Amino acid sequence: MPEIDARRLTFKIVYYGPEQGGKTSNLLRLRELLPPERAGEMMALDTRGGSTLLFDLLPFGFRSESGLLVKFRLFSVPGKTAYDATRKAVLARADGVVFVADADRSLEAINRESFRRLADDCAEVGLAFKYLPLVVQFNKCDLPNAVPEAETRARWSAAPWPLVFAAANGGRGVTQTLEALLRSLHRRFDGECALRARHALDEDTFVVRAMGGG
Amino acid sequence: MSEPAFDREWRLVDLLDTAACEKVAAALAQLLGGDLAIIDALGDPVCGSLHPAARREPLVLELEPIGYLGSATAGADALRAARDLLLALLRCQLRCTMAVALHQAAAAGDFVSLAREQTRLAEAEARCAWLSEELDDRVRKQVHELGERQQALYLADKLSSVGQLAAGMAHEINNPLAFVRSNFSTFERYLGQIAQLKTQLANAEVAWPALDLDFVLEDSRDLLHDSAQGLERIARIIGELKEFSNVDRAVEEFSDLNECLHQAAVIVEKQLPFGVAIRFRLLPLPGIICLPGHLKQLFFNVIGNAAQAIRDAGRPGEITLSSEVDGKNIVIRIQDDGVGMTAEQIEHAFEPFYTQRPVGSGIGLGLATARSVVLAHGGRIALDSRLGAGTTVTLFFPLPQ
Repeated sequence: MPEIDARRLTFKIVYYGPEQGGKTSNLLRLRELLPPERAGEMMALDTRGGSTLLFDLLPFGFRSESGLLVKFRLFSVPGKTAYDATRKAVLARADGVVFVADADRSLEAINRESFRRLADDCAEVGLAFKYLPLVVQFNKCDLPNAVPEAETRARWSAAPWPLVFAAANGGRGVTQTLEALLRSLHRRFDGECALRARHALDEDTFVVRAMGGG
Repeated sequence: MSEPAFDREWRLVDLLDTAACEKVAAALAQLLGGDLAIIDALGDPVCGSLHPAARREPLVLELEPIGYLGSATAGADALRAARDLLLALLRCQLRCTMAVALHQAAAAGDFVSLAREQTRLAEAEARCAWLSEELDDRVRKQVHELGERQQALYLADKLSSVGQLAAGMAHEINNPLAFVRSNFSTFERYLGQIAQLKTQLANAEVAWPALDLDFVLEDSRDLLHDSAQGLERIARIIGELKEFSNVDRAVEEFSDLNECLHQAAVIVEKQLPFGVAIRFRLLPLPGIICLPGHLKQLFFNVIGNAAQAIRDAGRPGEITLSSEVDGKNIVIRIQDDGVGMTAEQIEHAFEPFYTQRPVGSGIGLGLATARSVVLAHGGRIALDSRLGAGTTVTLFFPLPQ
């Protein structure tokens, strides 16, 4: 449940996935792709040799016509299995999740394991996985060993979540992923947060404004 | 969770306490060479007091200001520089504070999951214990049920045995009973004929033959004789039953088992059909305290069975009676080369009332009686038989210590 008061509505979005999958890269590219005045400074806590030890945090947001500051705080979890407790602590209280999978064919089992752990972790920190706004991103699709999009789509055809094919390092698919998640967030929380009713934020306006338009 | 969440929106006072704030403000004021105040997001002073005409610079860590730096005397550039310095400091503080809070949350999470794991283990253990108890219970119950079923089967078997006995007895007793009754009713009619003689005593010479009294007398004698035999048969059957149930206890005596065996054999020998012989291989035995009457009956039964087995085989044969002392026992063997027994017969051989012979040839108490007699002497009985080859019954009587 996002934090809301008279002036501010804050969504917590967590980038989750196997280590070296590109969660931090997503945040770094978003920082570049979002209009500078809409995003705050990216805080990378203790990154060592390319691995996130604690978390990264990228805040961004917009102010609605009604004067409400709609804020998104994008966190990335440490991917390494060893940081189990830290990952759970970062995941706690998430309003939406981007699962960043590595499209490399040899990493399918690791993706699967990480996705299963996401569901477990959600249960442990008290998130209803079934109702959690979630987007699955297959990152590094530009690499030669990546599983072709059609094959992945076929395999995930029964899954209810939006799938996005990305190459985060080059910036491809990064904003589409965030957009897809923003749409899910809107659908999930429009009623509770009175986005349309009180702040004139229908889904498209919400997404366009958040992504720096309007 | 009592600890503040690492991902909360941190306020200025969370990051800089008053003491730290005073220190920083003093240093910054010194650098700016003028007045300086720090106020929070709502405009309340954290340290110093803000001049109404002061210039303000927002302190933005994420998107919105968490406070302001204000000075009436400092120039705009100098104030911005001071603000940037303070922001750099706040950022450092924020990273540190968030890291610590996250670490605590993770540690608490670890502790919570450890505690949860512990609880799960304890539950699993309790469940294990419960299951094992339940299993014990179930096993006990099933064993009990099995026992009851076994008992029921045994009872059913016993009842069917009693049924066999009853059927056998009924036949055995019914036959003599029927002809004794018929004899008596005939005899009653004869008495009537004899009574008529009383009215014709004056003319007895004529009346006697007319009433056919010669025949009546002779037939009455036969009737009474037959009836006596019938009653004798009934008495014998009841005697056998009493023997089996040990109703009439015999007296204990110091006896030589060879002698008992010999006496029993002599009785059987008298009834042996042609072609059946008894051979003795008796070694000297020490005397023991026993019930010689019962033992003779036992030997009689077993030797009788042996003779019957040879007769059933339809060929000549031999019964061998042997005795010896084997360690702590007197061992007596009664062996025949008769028909032998089937597995089923061996299985039921010691059950009371079990007989394979036609009704009238015995009520099937032979080996059962034998066993109860041997057991009463603290011994045991063994049966070895092969179909078509013969049967050996071995009796063990313990010697006194």
